Amino acid sequence: MFKIIEYLITLWIILTLNFFLPRLMPGDPFLFVSGDEGNAVAQNTACIQESYIQFYGLGKPVHIQYVHYIIELFQGNLGHSFHFNESVSAILLKRFPWTVFLIVSAVLLSTIIGVVLGSISAWFQGRFLDNFLYFCLIIIAEIPAFLLALIFLFIFSAEFNLFPLSGAVTHFSGYKGWEWLADICHHAALPIISLTLVRSSGMYLLARNSMITVIAKDYIRTATAKGLTQYRILFRHIIKNAMLPIVTRIFLTLGSLVGGAILVENVFAYPGLGLLMREAVLMHDYPLIQGLFLLVTICVLTANYLADWVYVWLDPRISRDV
Amino acid sequence: MKTTHYLFLTVIILMISTIACNTNQSPEKQAISKSQSNIIRLQGGDWGYPTPYAHYPRGPGGYKTNLIFDSLLESDENGLIPWLAEKWETIDNGKRYLFTIRQNVTFHDGMPLTPEDVVFSLEYANQYPQSWSYLYQSIQSVRTQDTRNVLVTVITPSVPMLIYIGRTRILPKHIWKDIKQPQQFISKLSIIGCGPYRLTDYNKSHGIYRFEVFKNYWGPKPAVQVIEYIPVSQPILAYERGEIDMAIIPPDVLPGFTKDPRNKIVKSPAFWGIRLLFNMKSVPEFQNKAMRQAIRYALDLNALVEKTTRGAAICGSAGMLSPDHLLFNPHVKKYEYNLNRAISLLESAGYSYFDHDGTRKDKNGKKLIFQLLCSSGARISRSPISEIRIAEMIKEYLQRAGIHIQVKSADQRSRDSAVKSNQYEMVLLGHGGWGSDPQFLKKRFADKIRQGNSLMECRSYGYHNDHLDALLNQQSITFDPQKRKQLIFDIQRILSEELPEIPLFNTTNYTVFRPSTYDGWRFMYDHHALEHSKLSFLEKQL
Repeated sequence: MFKIIEYLITLWIILTLNFFLPRLMPGDPFLFVSGDEGNAVAQNTACIQESYIQFYGLGKPVHIQYVHYIIELFQGNLGHSFHFNESVSAILLKRFPWTVFLIVSAVLLSTIIGVVLGSISAWFQGRFLDNFLYFCLIIIAEIPAFLLALIFLFIFSAEFNLFPLSGAVTHFSGYKGWEWLADICHHAALPIISLTLVRSSGMYLLARNSMITVIAKDYIRTATAKGLTQYRILFRHIIKNAMLPIVTRIFLTLGSLVGGAILVENVFAYPGLGLLMREAVLMHDYPLIQGLFLLVTICVLTANYLADWVYVWLDPRISRDV
Repeated sequence: MKTTHYLFLTVIILMISTIACNTNQSPEKQAISKSQSNIIRLQGGDWGYPTPYAHYPRGPGGYKTNLIFDSLLESDENGLIPWLAEKWETIDNGKRYLFTIRQNVTFHDGMPLTPEDVVFSLEYANQYPQSWSYLYQSIQSVRTQDTRNVLVTVITPSVPMLIYIGRTRILPKHIWKDIKQPQQFISKLSIIGCGPYRLTDYNKSHGIYRFEVFKNYWGPKPAVQVIEYIPVSQPILAYERGEIDMAIIPPDVLPGFTKDPRNKIVKSPAFWGIRLLFNMKSVPEFQNKAMRQAIRYALDLNALVEKTTRGAAICGSAGMLSPDHLLFNPHVKKYEYNLNRAISLLESAGYSYFDHDGTRKDKNGKKLIFQLLCSSGARISRSPISEIRIAEMIKEYLQRAGIHIQVKSADQRSRDSAVKSNQYEMVLLGHGGWGSDPQFLKKRFADKIRQGNSLMECRSYGYHNDHLDALLNQQSITFDPQKRKQLIFDIQRILSEELPEIPLFNTTNYTVFRPSTYDGWRFMYDHHALEHSKLSFLEKQL
């Protein structure tokens, strides 16, 4: 019960910050006195600007807007985006699944790859295979995800024509069923591979270190002395005990779902939330910023809550401690 | 984040340069131009639902809407042309306009367009602000004169009112008459217009649009049957792979494309520019014309253009209008880079003493130290070069003349807000719209009280000149084109002498396309993008 109250208070504080922080940014959502090169921007006269301010309720005192926001939120209304001219919830619902697909796939694959390679490395600690894997993955870890994405884009899409250049589906193709699913996977392949490779290194290092720590424990020596098979020692004793920090990392990553792939989404013009967040902040689109940050908040809080549950399941001593 | 952004752009340009230079140039012969096409694919991205009220207030949104909705007048390379209005007449020195509405025009749902629809549309735009029309609260009355003519009476006569009325998109009254929140009217009905194309597919999150030709279109026959806009991350690669039929190319990769005979490259008119504004209220030194001229002489704009845009720009005219503007006066005062002239002007203004760091000061010890505000995010010529780089170059140039500049950067919206509230000393401001009617000069230089709200209206705060005011007010109500042209020429001449602000340069983009796919592209007289002109997709009438 106490835990739930703690979560609710956290949510309220974040909601309040979400509301006030964007409004503290200097600038006006409807004032355009400059524009990016090559872009023509509508020239709002003072009365046009005023009409927009009144229409979106920005002329009211801020505390009234805040109360209005909270009331609307409890009725399930996240507001109407100034820039995208659509309800915030509709925008988020359309974009969120694409980002979830990218990030969850990348997290799953990078966890599997990282843990498997980390286990191999830890098992062969100090030998050639460990040194080789360590060297390769350290190098990959240092490459920014967007750079890797760009390299893949230019090699596999532009040069060899193996993957699409951008987007999430082939437009105007009329694909249905399995064809449609295959098309989605084809488009998502390079973004997912880029994110997976970059994230694998972190997971590999964590798994390797965690497992090296566990390997040095007495109960592993006991297991070896008992004559258990290497397979049983590795998978029943070492990996299981080394999982806690890995699980923490998985949930931390899932918590950062919304902003986790901004640059990669940018490289592949992937219709996820990353680009949306950038656009919302640049345009001072208060309702959209609020909606996005609310989604981030919910993701982080949910990930934390799930992590608490999984910890108990993995290590019953934690619940006894609590 | 900023460093990452620049690194990102640099990597893209390097990679694209490599690919552009390796473009296969040998086997194909120069292709034959094609004035008809079944399907054209262009760079997409979401620019809003293409109704006059729901699209985003940016060019790509507005001009897509124009494919669906016709207006009374249209723009070609030389000016306004009759469109839904067969002809028009300006009455009572611009107080009234009489439009003769074309007959046998039908909306996409088969209903005929009547003068009642025109009256409704203009009244509606007067009641609810519509992007790109600027009619809001400026019309006194609209009524039908007879079965073909519509009489519009404006509140305040001014020359550009014709453009504002002429470009207002005409809506079907039978669909829109009960709509009280036009921005939120998004349905299949809201995209029924009488333009040459119908929207047959749109996806907001993917940023795709598909337009198909409207078979009963009244006007010139559409030359392209289907226009598709698809999301593109790297336009040049997408063009190379044939995914899109047109792309804007940075100057760095231009040589690779020029060598390929299958490509045609068109230079766009210089209607995007960047200018340097002075706040004469907070910095009284800027009220001195000699100071402003000295700053202009100290700036090597040719070098600035070369270094920041790699030549894809032309130096700004001191007369304020872009050299590509229809009313540009080429005989205004010229300021070539002349450091000695700058120094002598500063000394004549009393700044002949120096501080220990080389900064000039007057006899009272007042030093020439100014803050230059710029945007941290704005890019120039689709390259990693930013406004900050321009500001740093200005700092270097002015340092040579003994003026110390402190560069301050802010995000674009914060900078805009600072300009609006006059919280700056010097500021760099980049924007489009330089091809629009020179009425903006009046709003920029003759309004003594308020800072402008839109990009073309923002000005050096605190500047005032009675003679210029009189000319600016006069041109606004001079409906004789020749007389007005003379007034605009005089205004440019005075501005070039007075130099209340310094236009640094106007960019000229390069657009590449394959004439073998389609070659009907046309510019509008006041806009820089080929694909934004409705006429680009229609057969050219001789």
